Amino acid sequence: MITGALYQQYLTLLLDGNRRACAQIVQQLLEEDIEIQTLYADLFQKSLYEVGRLWEFNQISVAKEHLVTAITEGLLNLVYPRLFEKTSSDSQNEKKVVISCAANEFHQVGGKMVADIFELNGWDSQFLGANTPVDHMLAHIQDEKPDLVGLSVSVYFNMPALKSGLAAIRGNFLHLDIMVGGQAFNWGGTEIIKQYAGTAYVPSLDRLTSLIAA
Amino acid sequence: MKDALLTNAQKLEPPAETAIREFENKWEQIAAEGTRLLMARPDLEKLVGTGNEQMAEDNNRNFPRFMLSLFSDYQPAVFVETVLWVFRAYRSHGFQTTYWAANLNIWVDLLQKKLSADAWQQIYPFYNWLIVNIPKFTAITDADLADSSSNRPDHLHGAGTQK
Repeated sequence: MITGALYQQYLTLLLDGNRRACAQIVQQLLEEDIEIQTLYADLFQKSLYEVGRLWEFNQISVAKEHLVTAITEGLLNLVYPRLFEKTSSDSQNEKKVVISCAANEFHQVGGKMVADIFELNGWDSQFLGANTPVDHMLAHIQDEKPDLVGLSVSVYFNMPALKSGLAAIRGNFLHLDIMVGGQAFNWGGTEIIKQYAGTAYVPSLDRLTSLIAA
Repeated sequence: MKDALLTNAQKLEPPAETAIREFENKWEQIAAEGTRLLMARPDLEKLVGTGNEQMAEDNNRNFPRFMLSLFSDYQPAVFVETVLWVFRAYRSHGFQTTYWAANLNIWVDLLQKKLSADAWQQIYPFYNWLIVNIPKFTAITDADLADSSSNRPDHLHGAGTQK
């Protein structure tokens, strides 16, 4: 469990750019056998949302926002030994998922977390990263033949890129399941997804975990 | 007040596909011209704040991309909430509310010149809606900004600049 006091301590260290101290907190939580999805949602995701809010109100610079993102991405690596240990001890489900950001989308931490949550639940997950060109994504899907593709979009003005990606995937892989998510949907836009058969919107990491388990 | 904005925004009719495609084909040229005109204004620094020219340029590229997304699948709540976010973020960074009046007038003039009459008639109401509602967006974000400055954490000294 992440207490309010621990979260505030972590956030302060994160904003100070103290990667070492942040890593110690994460390591300690891992040694206490914290649920990985709790760590992701209640520490990493929550602090990143707060950092976005602080930029919005001009309380931190873009440089600091980027520093925080970079530190957080580094901290995800600390989790991997635990994540793979959990995965290997649980039953593998033989399923494969490809996660990617939409073209022109450069915010990638959320997509990376989603890929990890799949891995944690026994999937073979592949994360293609930010700004993946549609033709390259299609070729990768063709090669890897995943059971599911996930697309992430963080800013609303990238919706046309998301739609292009969805249309291309659906046009080339008629029966492939697709899921989408990201901050771009905070204020709406989920109706757009209904235009693409076999495509589901996933609003949160918690919901993702429930869907995987179902 | 936000409810009134949402109610008004729901009355806007999304442009037809042909008008959207015309906007899609022309927005980059219009944005470049609009940015040139904005940057040439003698009162630029007063409008956007010191050192915020790059942020204003970025906004002039992101704004039409957002409008294109909005026109394609019109969601009034997305329109209202996004503009409120823009007002909060940009005002926090030193932009004056007069910036929106100045910049939106540039956009309206250029759209009228560059778009066909048919596309202009369908797209103009969205820009006019933004212009006439500047006082409402200002009033709502006045409260947000006041709350923010009173809740500022002590350790966040050396605050930010542009994004």
